[in-house]
Amino acid sequence: MLSRVANNLIWLDRYMERGNGILSLLKVNYYANQDSPELFSWTPIMKTFTTYDNEFYTEDALECIDFMIFNTGNSNSILNIVTKARENARSVQEHISRELWLCINNYYLYLTNKDLPRKLEEDPVQFLEDLRKHHLIYFGTADITQERGPSYYFMNVGKFLERVILISDFTSLKLVDIGNTSDSLEKSFYWKNLLLSVGGYQLYLKTHKSTFNEEHVIRMVFQDKLFPRSVYYCINKLSGYIDQLIEANELEKNNIDFLLGKLESTIKYTTIDNINNQGLEHFISDIKEDIRNISLNINAVYFSQNN
Amino acid sequence: MANKHLFSSYDLLPKTWDEMYNDSSVFRTQYEEFIKYLEKTSPEKLSKKEDLSKQLFMSQGVTFTVYSDNEGIEKIFPFDIVPRIITSKEWTKIESGIKQRLKALNLFIKDIYNEQFIIKDGIIPGELIYSCPNFLREMKGVKVPYDVYVHISGVDLIRNNDGEFYVLEDNLRTPSGVSYMLENREISKRLFPGILPKSNVRSVSNYPNMLYKKLKELSNKTNPNIVLLTPGIYNSAYYEHTTLARLMGIELVEGSDLVVKNHFVYMKTTNGLKQVDIIYRRVDDDFLDPLEFNAKSVLGVAGIMAAYRKGHVNIVNAPGTGIADDKAIYIYVPDMIKYYLDEEPILKNIETYQLGRPDELEYVTKNIKDMVIKKTDGSGGYGMLMGHEATDEEIKDYLETVKKKPENFIAQPILRLSTAPCYIDGKLSPRCIDLRPFALSGRDGIDICPGGLTRVALKKGSLVVNSSQGGGSKDTWVIE
Repeated sequence: MLSRVANNLIWLDRYMERGNGILSLLKVNYYANQDSPELFSWTPIMKTFTTYDNEFYTEDALECIDFMIFNTGNSNSILNIVTKARENARSVQEHISRELWLCINNYYLYLTNKDLPRKLEEDPVQFLEDLRKHHLIYFGTADITQERGPSYYFMNVGKFLERVILISDFTSLKLVDIGNTSDSLEKSFYWKNLLLSVGGYQLYLKTHKSTFNEEHVIRMVFQDKLFPRSVYYCINKLSGYIDQLIEANELEKNNIDFLLGKLESTIKYTTIDNINNQGLEHFISDIKEDIRNISLNINAVYFSQNN
Repeated sequence: MANKHLFSSYDLLPKTWDEMYNDSSVFRTQYEEFIKYLEKTSPEKLSKKEDLSKQLFMSQGVTFTVYSDNEGIEKIFPFDIVPRIITSKEWTKIESGIKQRLKALNLFIKDIYNEQFIIKDGIIPGELIYSCPNFLREMKGVKVPYDVYVHISGVDLIRNNDGEFYVLEDNLRTPSGVSYMLENREISKRLFPGILPKSNVRSVSNYPNMLYKKLKELSNKTNPNIVLLTPGIYNSAYYEHTTLARLMGIELVEGSDLVVKNHFVYMKTTNGLKQVDIIYRRVDDDFLDPLEFNAKSVLGVAGIMAAYRKGHVNIVNAPGTGIADDKAIYIYVPDMIKYYLDEEPILKNIETYQLGRPDELEYVTKNIKDMVIKKTDGSGGYGMLMGHEATDEEIKDYLETVKKKPENFIAQPILRLSTAPCYIDGKLSPRCIDLRPFALSGRDGIDICPGGLTRVALKKGSLVVNSSQGGGSKDTWVIE
C-alpha cells in the first residue's frame, strides 16, 4: 500500500474517533451543566479540545457547543474534523468501501446544511445525538463493508490510538476537578461524569451498582478487558492490528511491537495500590508518553520511505 | 396527457438543427418514446427529478471545488435531465469517422517524432510544427510501445445546420469528462425507471473495463502495476481521477508518491518501493518531469522521462501528443487522412482560416461579425473573440493582438450548434449542444464507448458549452 494512503487511512479513523469522543463529551457536559453549572463548566473542555491558541471561552452552553461544532477557526471543531476526515477518505476511495465513502460524504453534507445550526437551539441533546449517529454509522459501516486487510488494520490503528488519547484526556480533565475538592459527593459526581463521557456508566452500574468507588472506576476505565473503551482494551486491539500489519509486511517492527507489549503489561499488571502510590495523573502521563512514542514510530515508518 | 405546456414555448433558433424536432416541427423518431414519457409525467414530478439529480450528484461526491479567498466552494457540474438521443445510424458514422481520424492522427504523431515524411512531402510546413508549443523535442526518436501515442481521446463534435457532424477539436492530451458520461447514465437509471431498457439504449458502463484492458495490453507482464497519476485534490477533475482509479481497481498516485531509481519508476509503499509499469497520467506534459520540462513542477516525477525513453515505464497518453490537437494543425487533419490512409475524411472539419496567411486574414477581418477567432494553443473557451457578440472596440483591440503574431490565431465561421431540448423552469427549451465521445486506442485497434458527454450551453442563445463558462451536461443515449 502507498505510504501516503496508509497515513490517510490512519488519520481518517483518528478524526472520526475524535469527533465521536468530543460529541459525547459535549452531550454529557450539557446535561451536567444544566444541573450544576458550578461543577461542570465549559471552559476546561474548550481549553483541552480546541486549537492551542484559542482565546474564545464562554460559559453559555449553546455558544460553546456552536463553537465546538461549527467554528472553522477551531481546528478541532466537528466541522473541521469531518472535513479533514472526508478529504482523507476522498483521496483513498479505491481503498475503502463505497458505502464508507458515501457515509462520510453524507455526514459532511449534513453538517454543512445551512438549516442545521437551527436544530442546536431547538434541542441541543437531539442535535448532538444526531451528529454522533453519523459516527456510529461510520464505524458500523466500516465493520460490515471493509475487507480485513491492510486498509482495515491501518484504520483501526488510527481509531484505537485516538481512543486511548481521548480516554486519557477525559480522565486528566476530571482529575483536575477532583483534586480541587474534598467533598466526596462532588468527587463521585466527577467520576460518574467521566464514566458517562467514555460511555461506561451503564456497564459500571451493572457491575458495581450505584456506589461510586474511585478504584472501581479506575479499574474499569484503565484495566477492564472487555469494556471497549478502556485503555487496556484499546492497547490490546492496537497491538493486535500492529501485529497483523507487521505480519503482512506493511509495517517494520522498528520497536513498535516492543513498546506496545511493554505498555500492555504495564497497564495489566499495575495494581491499584501502585497507581495510587504514584498518583493517577502520573500513571496517565506515562501512558500518554508511551502512546506518543508509538505514534511517532508509526509515523517514522511512513516517513522513512518518503525520502 | 398530464403535461401539455411542456412544449408551449419551444422557440427554435433560426438556421439551426434541432435534435428533437425536424424541419416540419414533427418529433424525430428517436425522441418519440421519451417524449411519450415526458407527456405522461406532471411538471411537479419532473421538477422533483431535477432536484433529485442535484442531490444525487452531491451525495455521491460528484463535485469539483472552486477556490476563492482561501475557501473552497464545492460545485456540481449542472446536469439537464432530458437525455440527448442519437440514432444507431448516426452513431455508426460518428464511430467510423473518429476511428479514421485517430488512426491518421496517431500515424502523424509517430511520423513527426521520427522520419517526418509529411513535412518532406510538403503536406505540412515544418515551421508550423517547430513553432508549436506542444511539440516536444524530447520525444524525437523515442520508441513508443506498439506505436500507440494517443490511447485516450475525446474528440469534440458539433452538428451543423446541415445535420452533419463536424469535428471541432481533437482532444488528444488528457481529455476529461468521461466520469460524467458514467455518472449521468447512473442518474438517468434512477430518474427514469424502466425507460432505458424500453428505449434500447446502449450501455456505457463497460468503459473502465475497456480502459483497463487497453492499459494492461501495453505491458508484457501478466500482472503489470498500473497507476493513475493525478495532480491532486485541488485539480478540478480530481473526482474523475478517483472514480476511474476506483472503477479500474488501480492505485491513485500523486507525483510525490513516485520516485525514479536507476531509470525505473517506483511507488513508495508501506513495504518498500514497488515498481510501476504503466502510468495513466492526468498531469500535463509541462508538469510531468521537472528535470526536462517545467523545473518548478511538484506535480510530476523527476527522471520519469528518462525512464520512459528507456522503455522501463509506459506513459499514457504519450508525451507530445499535443502537437496533433493544436488548433493550427487541425486544419491539416483532412490532408493527413488522405496522406496516411488514402481515404476521404468521413467527418468534416470546420472551415478554418489561418490568420498567418495575409489573404485569409483580410477575408476574416472583412467578415469579422460572422467569425470566431481563437488562439491556436488555447482551450477551455478562453481567449476567444465571438464576432457577433463583440463590440467594435473589442474587435479593434483583439485584431491588434492578432496582428502582433497572426500565425498564433485561427478563425472559423460562427457555428450553428444544434439545439436539444432542456428542462428549464418547468418547460422544454432548446439549448446549444456539442458531443464528446470517448475513444480508446490500444494494441489491437480503437474502441469507442457508445455514448459520450453531451455538453450544453445552458444560457439562452449561448454557444459556449465549457463548464467553466456556464455550461452543463446531459446524458447521451445511443439507441439501437
